[in-house]
Amino acid sequence: MRAENYQQINHPPSHAFELNFGPNHPGIEGNYALQVQVEGDTVVQARADGGYLHRGFEKLMEQRLWIQNIALVPRICVPDPSPMEVCYSMAVEQIAGIEVPERAQWIRVMQLELSRIAAHLFTFGGHAATTGMYSPMFWGVADRDLILDLFEEFTGGRIYSIYNLPGGVRRELPEGFLQRVTDTLDYIESRLPDYDDLFFKNRVFIKRAKGVGVTEQAMALEYGVTGPNLRAAGLPFDVRRDDPYLVYEQLEFEVPTEEAGDAWARTLVRRSELIESIRIVRQVVAALPDIGGPLRTPIPNPLAWRVPAGESYARVESSKGELAYYVVSDGSEKPWRVHVRGPSSMHAVQVLEELVKGGRIEDVAQTMFSLDACPPEVDR
Amino acid sequence: MSRVFDELTNFARARSLFILHYCTGCGAIELPPVMTSRFDMERLGVSPMVTPRQADILLVTGYVSIKTLKRVMLTYEQMGSPKYVIGICSCTVNGGMYWQSYATAKRLDEYMPVDLYIAGCMPRPEAVISGLRELMKKIEQGEANSWKEYYRNYDYYLGNQQHLFGDQWQTPVDVIGEAEHYGLVGDGTRGEHTALLEQVQHPLKPLEMRL
Amino acid sequence: MNMDAFTPWLDALCGRIDGMVVACSDLAQRRSRIDLPSEELTTLLEAAKGEMGFVHLSAISCVDWIEEGEFELVYHLWSYEQNQLLSIHIRVARDLGRFQSVYDLYRPAGFFERDIHEMYGLYFEGAPDMEKFILTEWNGPPPMRKDFDSEAFVGETFDWQQYNPEWLQEIVAAGGGVVVPPTEQRFSQRKKVDGPDWSGDHPQAKRGQE
Repeated sequence: MRAENYQQINHPPSHAFELNFGPNHPGIEGNYALQVQVEGDTVVQARADGGYLHRGFEKLMEQRLWIQNIALVPRICVPDPSPMEVCYSMAVEQIAGIEVPERAQWIRVMQLELSRIAAHLFTFGGHAATTGMYSPMFWGVADRDLILDLFEEFTGGRIYSIYNLPGGVRRELPEGFLQRVTDTLDYIESRLPDYDDLFFKNRVFIKRAKGVGVTEQAMALEYGVTGPNLRAAGLPFDVRRDDPYLVYEQLEFEVPTEEAGDAWARTLVRRSELIESIRIVRQVVAALPDIGGPLRTPIPNPLAWRVPAGESYARVESSKGELAYYVVSDGSEKPWRVHVRGPSSMHAVQVLEELVKGGRIEDVAQTMFSLDACPPEVDR
Repeated sequence: MSRVFDELTNFARARSLFILHYCTGCGAIELPPVMTSRFDMERLGVSPMVTPRQADILLVTGYVSIKTLKRVMLTYEQMGSPKYVIGICSCTVNGGMYWQSYATAKRLDEYMPVDLYIAGCMPRPEAVISGLRELMKKIEQGEANSWKEYYRNYDYYLGNQQHLFGDQWQTPVDVIGEAEHYGLVGDGTRGEHTALLEQVQHPLKPLEMRL
Repeated sequence: MNMDAFTPWLDALCGRIDGMVVACSDLAQRRSRIDLPSEELTTLLEAAKGEMGFVHLSAISCVDWIEEGEFELVYHLWSYEQNQLLSIHIRVARDLGRFQSVYDLYRPAGFFERDIHEMYGLYFEGAPDMEKFILTEWNGPPPMRKDFDSEAFVGETFDWQQYNPEWLQEIVAAGGGVVVPPTEQRFSQRKKVDGPDWSGDHPQAKRGQE
């Protein structure tokens, strides 16, 4: 049938019908669902449906000792677990008034940045797969594995490292480790031109991602978006720079921004951030040999440790945005209340619902992956 | 003759397995490395599949919250037989570190028969691959028959599901009918729980098509 | 605007709003805490957002103080201009179970209030959406309340696997169990670390024992 004839046929009025995106759907990041009302190809209404990964972390933490919770927190965000344990440790240290030795702070920075590189590579992979390009996915996951090997070597765990504890970090870096970090970073940096050719400057990807899911700066501010998604809308806010923690004040790095605020801009911001993270880790690698001292401030017997009564709000920039822990202690062996402000809880619910509205069905996955939503953070 | 044929079928089944692409928990983060070039499970003939109807293996990757467990049950019943269930991570064995949690189910094998557990928190990709090879071995020897258990002991599994999801729980799949079809009706297929199900079950209506 | 404007603004606000207490203000650490009677919350939020640029609502945390019979709500605000974090603490009666929503001022409140509603059962009037989000298939009481005993719930609801099955007992009886001794593990060639003293001589340990 030719196109002009097709136009002339008098179609009966179409009705919107409901489509379930997820939880078992390849275009959804993790175990999450979107109930989408579509008319033809266009999304009219969307409603996020979470809770599939709910484990009741905040309740569990109230039932366990301060030190036991260290093992629990990394599970809150699976793709990027290290900021969770650092942030929780920082919150407890603030309440108890523990000073962290300088060497431990530098090692923590290295851990955080390596984790960010791994998380971004993973996101690129997932994002590329939603545009139908599977080679960047294979590359991204394989290159992320090199970082996981480093994690395995210096923390003992591929994904969940459980390397921090209130007061410092658990053990010394293995011998020759810094050299291996440098080698891995060199390799990942040398891969970036390949990624550019295959993914970032790929015409298919640019056409698919440009103009999709636009968050303008006013909207991003209104909805409380943070992290790369906010910076893609042009506001250079980074917790590392504006609310510095650990030794970030002594490090040189830039806060990359983009103006457009669409899926493409968000991906480009992540790409620049990856480069900045590599830069930061290089500085840490250069500085670490000169920084001696202990790895942790001793804390009392952790099985009977009573953290003095108080509260603290610790913030960390994770790969998804601003991560915060509000911890309240009543002076007993267990926390009275731990509230986790997962960065994704902002952009995976209200913003996602808003952005997919008016778009097409095939862009839903694109929008979700470019926002880098992490469902376990939302559900906790 | 039929034994030769069975062996041939098992041999073929073990070499073409499709894993359902459903990330129920945190163990799913180790599946992309398993799928992609570094560990590459495709060399074993294992590949991800997006729809339950065409999948052979249900990987339950980690803890299942009660809300997810309902979807896992629906998915499991939709899969065509023979189907195999692998429970990954310690949480599927006994609740793992979430044993105090009000939101997660503790033992997976109360709700569906499990062929194989891969323990660990989380198991490394090598462990996943070795688990898959173990399953292939079991299939080849004709030992991976847990799906038959589900038909033979349907009443037990349904009872546990009703205990967790409430008495109104039902799925669109007619499990007893399928059991009769396969000739797998056992002593435990019908019981008090299936009787309760028959009481509350409302017959399926065709979906209203609006065009 | 600069940081110097922040402290005078807080002091001036103290005079304007009845019952407002600046509990602590540490500008170097970029943290300030304000205690407030609950009915003055909207006034303060409007002033903070309008005059000082606290446009980012970082989180709303709820704390259940069951002995006092109160919920404590903490509004964490961040100002991109001042680079300051302002925590506003208010107390709401636990029995009343309802409070005013701030969704009109801060959109992110929509998510946090919805979360608090299903976890604590505190209803927010004026919020656009108070439907369940996470616990859609949960029929029990709001689980984050202190009077909900989740361990008892778990004990009633679930069964446990045998941890000492017969096959393991046989292995242990034959002297098995650990496969690779720690000395032969892959990354065991560690340097000796100046580890902490776990014996409990630290001043905090003594405080813990008291």
